[in-house]
Amino acid sequence: MKRMRTLAGISILALVLAACSSGSTDTAAEDTAAALDDSNCAAAESFCVGLVTDIGKVDDKSFNQSAWEGAKAAAAEVGGFAKYIETTDTKDYAANMKQFTDKSYDVIVTVGFLMAEASVAAAKENPNTKFIGVDQFQGEEVANLTGLIFPEDQAGYAAGYLAGLLTKTNKLGSVLGLEIPPVQLFAKGFEAGATAANAGVKVTTVYHPPADNGFGDPVWGAAEAKKQLSQGADIIFGAGGGTGNGALIEIAKAEGAGTSIFCIGVDTDQWGTVPEAQPCLVTSAMKGLSEGTADLVKAVFDGSIKGGNFVGTTGLADYHDLASAVSADIQAKVAEIVAGLKDGSIKTGVTL
Amino acid sequence: MTLTDTKQENKLGFFVRNQTIVVPIAAIFVAFVLGGILILLQGVNPLVAYKAIFSEAWFDSDGLLRTFQKTTPLVLAGLAVTVGLRVGLFNIGAQGQLISAALASALAGIYITNLSPIFHVLVALTCGIIVGAIWAGIAGILKAYRGVHEVISTIMLNSIAIGILDYLVSNPFKEPDQSLQRTKKIAETAVLPNIGVIPFGFILALIICLLVSWMLNKTTAGFRFNTVGKNKFAATYAGINMKLMVVTGMLLSGGLAGLGGAIETLGITYRFEPAFNAGLGFDGITIALLARANPLATIPAAILVGTLRAGGASLQFETGIEPEIVDVLLAITLLLVSAPILAKYLFKGKAQKSANVTSGWGN
Amino acid sequence: MLDFIKDNKKPVITLGLVTVIAYVLYFLDEIKTTSVLVFGWGYAVPLVLAAMVGIIGERTGVVNIGIEGQMLMSAFASFFGSVITGNIYLGMLIGIGAGLLMGAFLAVAAVKWEMDQIIAGVVINIVAAGLTSFFYAPGKTLPQLMPVVSIPILSDIPLIGPVFFRNGLFALATLFIVLAVNYAIFKTRWGLRSRSVGEYPSAADAAGINVTRVRMMNVTLAGALAGCAGAFLALEAAGTFARGLTAGRGFLALAIMIFGAWNPMGALAAALFFGLSTAIASQLQADEVINIPQQFVNLLPFVMTLIVLSIAVGRVRPPAAAGQPYTKEG
Repeated sequence: MKRMRTLAGISILALVLAACSSGSTDTAAEDTAAALDDSNCAAAESFCVGLVTDIGKVDDKSFNQSAWEGAKAAAAEVGGFAKYIETTDTKDYAANMKQFTDKSYDVIVTVGFLMAEASVAAAKENPNTKFIGVDQFQGEEVANLTGLIFPEDQAGYAAGYLAGLLTKTNKLGSVLGLEIPPVQLFAKGFEAGATAANAGVKVTTVYHPPADNGFGDPVWGAAEAKKQLSQGADIIFGAGGGTGNGALIEIAKAEGAGTSIFCIGVDTDQWGTVPEAQPCLVTSAMKGLSEGTADLVKAVFDGSIKGGNFVGTTGLADYHDLASAVSADIQAKVAEIVAGLKDGSIKTGVTL
Repeated sequence: MTLTDTKQENKLGFFVRNQTIVVPIAAIFVAFVLGGILILLQGVNPLVAYKAIFSEAWFDSDGLLRTFQKTTPLVLAGLAVTVGLRVGLFNIGAQGQLISAALASALAGIYITNLSPIFHVLVALTCGIIVGAIWAGIAGILKAYRGVHEVISTIMLNSIAIGILDYLVSNPFKEPDQSLQRTKKIAETAVLPNIGVIPFGFILALIICLLVSWMLNKTTAGFRFNTVGKNKFAATYAGINMKLMVVTGMLLSGGLAGLGGAIETLGITYRFEPAFNAGLGFDGITIALLARANPLATIPAAILVGTLRAGGASLQFETGIEPEIVDVLLAITLLLVSAPILAKYLFKGKAQKSANVTSGWGN
Repeated sequence: MLDFIKDNKKPVITLGLVTVIAYVLYFLDEIKTTSVLVFGWGYAVPLVLAAMVGIIGERTGVVNIGIEGQMLMSAFASFFGSVITGNIYLGMLIGIGAGLLMGAFLAVAAVKWEMDQIIAGVVINIVAAGLTSFFYAPGKTLPQLMPVVSIPILSDIPLIGPVFFRNGLFALATLFIVLAVNYAIFKTRWGLRSRSVGEYPSAADAAGINVTRVRMMNVTLAGALAGCAGAFLALEAAGTFARGLTAGRGFLALAIMIFGAWNPMGALAAALFFGLSTAIASQLQADEVINIPQQFVNLLPFVMTLIVLSIAVGRVRPPAAAGQPYTKEG
């Protein structure tokens, strides 16, 4: 009995000390100017931006992170406040969105195509809140929901075109995450672009085996990249979150990285997010996630946002330090292709 | 011995006699204190953090529904592993069994038509149970007749299930006119409804739990199970057919996991999508171990895990603490429930020795 | 040498067969065969090391299903250790140290506290997953790359040379570690004592062996091998740390251990089998040779393992006292 009282006593003392000493509710999820919080989002002058990630974290060096950076930047620019929730279970999407709607947030960014249905339902239930669905194609228009979609195949096509022109061995490779639509679009676009640039080229396409960690297996990605390199591929496209990052890092270690061997990143300019890959990273097939999210959040702020789909930009990242490895001729041709894809004169021909 | 000593003894006696309840409660308490320290290190008041979890999980009607929804498959997954443990089998394959059943019941809910609601639900649930049982049965038969250790066969079967299901929802059973890998929604008649905040599936899980407990503790079959689990030599000597026990044990275990998957599909997700049921099988192992292979105890264990998971989003929203803290809390609880340290500290000599829950590893 | 072959008939035959087939394919397509073998061995290395951890533990009577957590924690420790100290060699040591630490925890929990060994392992796994995720800091890179070393004469052997003898430090060491552990378990006094403790602890006790001490030491030291596996994954294989880096390899290692009949050489053969079938699966996908959906091709290793297990005659059994805490009687 005495022991239990002692145990209870110590615990209660600890908790009381904790309660007294730490008065702050410093939150990692906020990341904003000190004066702002979400205590009064309903007020007209306070602009609150919420973000619900897909399964994963905001520091995943991939699309969750890009979307958050865009939302955060936009909120800061207009003097608003931004907060995120990291989803741990696909069944929690609706509940996570509700955290924000309960506090009358002005706009909620929902990241990832898996959340499409939940976003539509939440938008219909909360007509006064604006929703931005990243990677969520709107088949049917809902007035307060804007789908931010990207033609991934175009980004892949441009990257493939560059690779097709740049390759000396006529062998290209791609190390991919799970076989799901966005990844398939990138991969098929890559192959289409490469063959358009160079009819004799051979593109190896390998997806990660179905598993819960398809986008978080850098060990497999690295090993697969190594295998493709030793079989003659001299430019490899890494498209699959952490798995792709592993491939990029491995290729950067290869002899000739940056001169005869190159790697291509995905989603954002991975020059900054995966610095280990810089030795080989000639470009990245980018989806303008951050810019698109930021633009739409600002559109909510100034009232110009519309329902339906908003097509974001795709493009190729800067060549950075490897610009000298890409001849002016090739750079010009690729720029032409990018422009052509943008204005619609060039079609990728990719279907799922 | 003075009079006051005897009084102390009597008070202590109550707790000593009910150690199996006191120790887990104390374990949870200590785990929360230790977790509180971790939270404190992040600059957050632990009481605020815990309040965020519980007010969302228990005191918000949507949150309460979610708590029940999360608890339900956990109870069944926990029962699946528990039944396995009781007969001396370590069923790591609950995940594969669960997801196979989830797809099977989704398909039954979509493609079997013209049935009345109650009947449709029953048929779909049964499909799930059967598929789950078969998937586990494969491991059971391999063990009984070819001597293949169930740990290795169930690990293999988990991966095989993921691969096959991934293919099935990408091609033959994919919902048309959209690009996601998933099935169509199940028919209205196959839906397991909620009664207020309580999913029907939860009530089903409770009933099954009571049935399993009764079976294991009060029937001859259950007696045979327990004997096999405790001492294989004694069981063989007593004339129990070991092969039959192994296969039956796995079938039962898989069927329970399958029921969990089926209820998830029919009552919570209404379709099958690969990412939906992630992690449930492994959680089932944690639940079964927290419950020390006692079927009735899987309910409070599942409620604990379900509560923490349901409250996790609110935790991050209110305080910025990352959801992983929940796993650390659970691990500490599991450790303290299972290691004799807490019991010895509280009860000194009178601590009950915690028997091995998993006696089956040694084949 | 002949003794060695006699004692390890099955693994040696398997490896022999694989080698023959490999050389045949090598003559057909040098580059592809070599690269497939490199992939396969790279896949097998962490599995082999992790299986050693399990084997040493179980042969001594302690079941360790926390290998996954040990590997994850070591990977985390070796990566961030390298980053913080600015030296990859220190990082390696830190990683191995982390493995030792967790081995020590299992030793205390399972042997001293006589806790259920499976539960202790599960706790290790959950804690490792939670802590490595909670304390993860993005944006860090390795200060140096793992050096690739070529062993002088051996690395020139066609096919086998580049695969096994031109690698980073951990991959190189693995083959020797397996041979050393195999020798230690079956040919040394330490091995004999450990095995007796695992099979018949009361007899070992009667013979004067301190069962508790042997178990605790072995489980702790085996943790160092888990540390090697984790450090390999973070420093050599991936070159970075990501949440969930180990991705179930620790559990696969348990399967490998059982597949290999609790025998280091068997585990080596089993791990290679698994690694090679995974490599072949990815190669089949790359070559688009057969028109089978990628999901089925990737099931190859798992299905084949089940088939081999079902056909192979003879039930394998773990050490008799594995999983049971030993309490002195009297």
